[in-house]
Amino acid sequence: MNNLTLKDPELEYRDNKISARGVNVSYGETLAIKNVDVDIPDKTVTAFIGPSGCGKSTFLRCFNRMNDTIDICRVSGDIRLEDQNIYDRQIDPVQLRARVGMVFQKPNPFPKSVYDNVAYGPRIHGLVNNKAELDDVVEACLKRAALWREVKDRLHEPGTGLSGGQQQRLCIARAVATAPEVLLMDEPCSALDPIATAQVEELIDELRLNYAVVIVTHSMQQAARVSQRTAFFHLGSLVEHGHTTKIFTNPDDQRTQDYITGRFG
Amino acid sequence: MTDQKSTAAVPAGGYGSDAAIARLKARRRAETRLKAYGICAIALAFAALGALAWSVVSKTATALTEHYVVLDFEIPQEDVDPDGTGDVAVIGKANFAGITKDVLKARFPSATGRKERRQLYDIVSNGTAYELRALVLDDPAALRSPLNFAFVASDVADLYLKGVYGSFVEQQRPPASALEVTELETNTWQVTADAPVFRAALGDLSGLLLERAERLRRQALLQENGRRVFEERLQAAMDEAERAEYRKEADARAARRDQLTEEADALVRTSSEGGAISLDRSMPTLVVRVGDDWYKLAEVQDNQATITALSAADALPGELSDADWTFLVNSVPESARKISDLQAVWLEDLKSAGSVEKRYNWRFFTSGDSREPELAGILGAAVGSFWTMLVTFVLAFPIGVLAAVYLEEFAPRNRWTDLIEVNINNLAAVPSIVFGLLGLSVFLGFFGIPRSAPLAGGITLALMTLPTIIIASRAAIRAVPPSIRDAALGIGASKLQTSFHHVLPLALPGILTGTIIGMAQALGETAPLIMIGMVAFIVDTPGGITDSATVLPVQVFRWSDLPERAFEARTALAICVLLAFLVAMNALAVFLRKRFERRW
Amino acid sequence: MQGISGLVALVLVGISVFFFILARSRAVAVAGGNLSALHSRPAYHGLYFLLLTLLVGLSAFLVCLIAGDWYVGASLSSRISEINPDLAPIEVALVKSDARAIAEGAVASRVDALREEVAELYRSLAKLHLVVVAAVPVAAAIAAGGLNLGRISLEWRARNGSERILRSVLFVCALIAVLTTIGIVLSLIFETMSFFSKIGWRIDRFAFGTEWSPLAGVHEGILDPDRVGAIPLFLGTLLITAIAMLVAVPVGLFSAIYLADFATPRTRTWVKPLLEILAGIPTVVYGFFAAITIAPLFRAAGDAIGLSVASESALAAGVVMGVMIIPFISSLSDDVINSVPQSLRDGSYGLGATRAETVRHVVLPAALPGIMSAVLLGVSRAVGETMIVVMAAGQGANLTVNPLEAVTTVTVQIVMLITGDAEAETAAGPAFTLGFTLFCVTLVLNVVALRTVRKYREAYD
Repeated sequence: MNNLTLKDPELEYRDNKISARGVNVSYGETLAIKNVDVDIPDKTVTAFIGPSGCGKSTFLRCFNRMNDTIDICRVSGDIRLEDQNIYDRQIDPVQLRARVGMVFQKPNPFPKSVYDNVAYGPRIHGLVNNKAELDDVVEACLKRAALWREVKDRLHEPGTGLSGGQQQRLCIARAVATAPEVLLMDEPCSALDPIATAQVEELIDELRLNYAVVIVTHSMQQAARVSQRTAFFHLGSLVEHGHTTKIFTNPDDQRTQDYITGRFG
Repeated sequence: MTDQKSTAAVPAGGYGSDAAIARLKARRRAETRLKAYGICAIALAFAALGALAWSVVSKTATALTEHYVVLDFEIPQEDVDPDGTGDVAVIGKANFAGITKDVLKARFPSATGRKERRQLYDIVSNGTAYELRALVLDDPAALRSPLNFAFVASDVADLYLKGVYGSFVEQQRPPASALEVTELETNTWQVTADAPVFRAALGDLSGLLLERAERLRRQALLQENGRRVFEERLQAAMDEAERAEYRKEADARAARRDQLTEEADALVRTSSEGGAISLDRSMPTLVVRVGDDWYKLAEVQDNQATITALSAADALPGELSDADWTFLVNSVPESARKISDLQAVWLEDLKSAGSVEKRYNWRFFTSGDSREPELAGILGAAVGSFWTMLVTFVLAFPIGVLAAVYLEEFAPRNRWTDLIEVNINNLAAVPSIVFGLLGLSVFLGFFGIPRSAPLAGGITLALMTLPTIIIASRAAIRAVPPSIRDAALGIGASKLQTSFHHVLPLALPGILTGTIIGMAQALGETAPLIMIGMVAFIVDTPGGITDSATVLPVQVFRWSDLPERAFEARTALAICVLLAFLVAMNALAVFLRKRFERRW
Repeated sequence: MQGISGLVALVLVGISVFFFILARSRAVAVAGGNLSALHSRPAYHGLYFLLLTLLVGLSAFLVCLIAGDWYVGASLSSRISEINPDLAPIEVALVKSDARAIAEGAVASRVDALREEVAELYRSLAKLHLVVVAAVPVAAAIAAGGLNLGRISLEWRARNGSERILRSVLFVCALIAVLTTIGIVLSLIFETMSFFSKIGWRIDRFAFGTEWSPLAGVHEGILDPDRVGAIPLFLGTLLITAIAMLVAVPVGLFSAIYLADFATPRTRTWVKPLLEILAGIPTVVYGFFAAITIAPLFRAAGDAIGLSVASESALAAGVVMGVMIIPFISSLSDDVINSVPQSLRDGSYGLGATRAETVRHVVLPAALPGIMSAVLLGVSRAVGETMIVVMAAGQGANLTVNPLEAVTTVTVQIVMLITGDAEAETAAGPAFTLGFTLFCVTLVLNVVALRTVRKYREAYD
């Protein structure tokens, strides 16, 4: 709880949603993440920044056990979602991923209609009992992703036909539809143009009201714009972690200082 | 915003609720099911592969060895070379088939009738006289010395000696003082013992009778069903003539039913009462052996039997002591085998005299096709395959590689090149039989290449293999990085020089791998070659690409169609040879790929 | 003719080698000690002449051979009809082949005055042909070489010239695939047209008729349009293909799904090659397996449960054919399933879908066009497969859809017609017509399948 004990001047204190202790991740022989401790508070946007290859995406994928899908990837350490170890044998990664949703770097709508894309999660998890309920959920989620107005007349056209920004918001709507508690976003704007980026960032800020959001980003400006907390990763280690304002104005570590001032990265 | 959250779906009781957990379990089960389907599918495919391999390999067993009948004799000089000239032309014209027959007659003097003689000659192969002739022509001195010559057994004799048609097994019998023999008529005796000496065989026989009775009963039931149908029609019929006809039909069926039932009852009676069972061709063969003489049982009960001479040189004495005779049974009935009882006991005689020899079937690999299974070999087909593949390779390899070089390195990107590409891809999927039709009408019909020649087959297969080679070569050429080309062009090499000096050598392992795989396909191809007449019966080993020839897979096809049972094993063995070639070629391809594969 | 062919080829090679040496030394001489003054190195001067003489000689040789053959045949025919105008075309052909046999000292089916006379003509023509085939190519090669020798000079671009020749050789090689297709289409169409004209252009009778015994009236020399109905063959082919696909599609598809989405890399490395062994086994071996093992097995199994199964049942042939097609379906499907981008799978896993749900709802729908084309290619294989059905399916045209009965297929009938006892002229018509039908059907299947798979690849690349 080192740096997080500081009181946030703007926000009231929130509980930690996820807390990770002593996490190591290795791909075969190479150690990608070295002994990282981090806490993710609820109803907050936490940004992971750092130069490419520093392991921030790998670390993010630990939170919903997406690393399980890679054969040679091994995760050790303790990651708790509301005091429950998510690497416990009792936990089914399938259900975990419904609670910890994820949005990927490249928009990846399924080759199905807009409606079916959003309805996919509720359907497989059995969240709805009938078509009317499903319609409501799809509408609510599309509204939540600020996409409803643009797609309400083309719900049954393929999701792949939308523009890049729309596709990414569709993916967010899709993730929201499984009623997650945490939303992980892996560089969600890196494939988008500036206007679409602005729309998505606006959306992230709104999502914060209901979810714990963790966003990996390359852009320090983006981290500064959307996040309340920031963690800086370098070469697989967590260098510094704290309030975004503090990290960007008065970092403790020289490396953080160098990175945010653009000396490397 | 919170109101929106409430509209979004939340599972009743959250993800930890019982309902959610139950649902999760069901989903996991569905996943396990899909995985199981996958494993089952792969297991099924492997099972099919295993069954195929097993059914081929297990069938080769009887083709691996062959039997010879080894006899001592002397070739009478006057039959072959009466004037003692030693002239090869004279000796070559002699009747060696007759000599072979004489040798057999001398060995089994009891075979006297025409039919018996023919059966006797049939235990050795037709081709064996040619081998005797070859021996004598090779070494005319053999004429003047006693010979110990191995006659090739005929296919049925060979199969009998391998146990395919059962064998005579000696039966245990209780000790009896002696077997009393009474002559009923010429060559037929009644033998009686004071102990149930024949009982061992009776159990099986009465079982057989019961089975037969059961079959008769079933037939009777069918007749009864038929009768009932006609009875019903009779009830329904209006017209008198019709009624009479139905009545007739029903009566006929009733009569047949009664007759069948009666026969069945008689059979059951015989089997239960221990009465005499008369033996026919569809029942096991029971024989009594006295020294080298064989007697067949025509009727049998516990301690008594009627026997007839099967192959007997001497008349039976009035009494046989216990040690003098043995009782043997071949449980395969005569009607179920290609070899008669008489031939079987002759072979048993030869076997006990040590005149039967078993050798590895090298002949199979050193001779050409034959109508006689025991003489047939695959050398001719293998050489035919070699010539055909040679033609295919000489045409398809250079043309395929050059075409690939053109398409990858020189072809302008336009509609014509697209057309050639689409064409090649489609050609790769045209049924092989269509190539056969092309070969038939163009190469045989238009260009007049001789039928059945490896030349025609090779050209046809080359056209068929071409797409495979082109596609593989293009992939290999494409895998050579552009930097190599740039380097060569940069020092002033022409495009052609770049392709032939730099790109092609680097792509060669890939090209060779593709070519070998294409050639392996061509080696196994049958249908197009049948179309161009390579399915003919050809004994001689082809000496060139214009001789008539056949190829391995076509030989397999031809043999699999022949009725002689011995060909089945030979077909399987020919398949093994073909597969061995294919495995060798594919292994070479894998080796080339592993050895020379380069990752850029 | 074969002896002379080899000899001429040898002489032509000799001539071209001679011109190679000649041109090379001339180039050296022209350069006069300063080789770098030449535009092309002397070897290229040689190469140009080597290629030129060889190509000219060989093409002249082929033209002489084929044209000569044709001329000899045509003059024999015209001579025969001159002597005896009443002979039917088939008899003319017979007389011709007999005359050849007589002239070559082989055994003829008959020897008479007409044949002797034609044989005499053939002898003289053959001699002429031989001289032409031997002399013209050699003369042409020498002429081509000799006339071009004057071009050797310091500036002459021999390298570009020989590369132009080589490039056209390459082009001709690439063109052979197209020529093959044209050859197939022409040879099939020619016989098909003559067949249709013999049945009075009643194509409907062929396409929709239900009785197939085209050689029934052959002794009267007629083709009865009522007996060339190919529906039983089409139906039989369809039945066996359907059975094969019922075996191959589920097994192949489920194996592909398992291999692509469930199996560990290690399992993949040994399962895939083993599955592909099935594709490398010659079809004649499958035929043997079907006829000797599977058909009796099904028959026995049928007997055991009281069904009468024909010994050449469509079921046995179809099942074995299905086994043969498994690797096509599985490896093609495996390819397309693997090329579904990982990001789609990640998206699905990220929402909490199981692997099975991801496969069913995301991967398979995305891969569907590719899988469809795999199935289409499988169908095209099954329709064109010959040996399995020749060895294990029936031969009588039986109009049924009962898989336990014997049916015949298009390919079986082609083989039977061509290898049967009937005159080649009469059997060829129906056989080539069936072949043409087969070619068209498989062509359409292939074009559609290849196009679908190409579009699919483009969508995800």
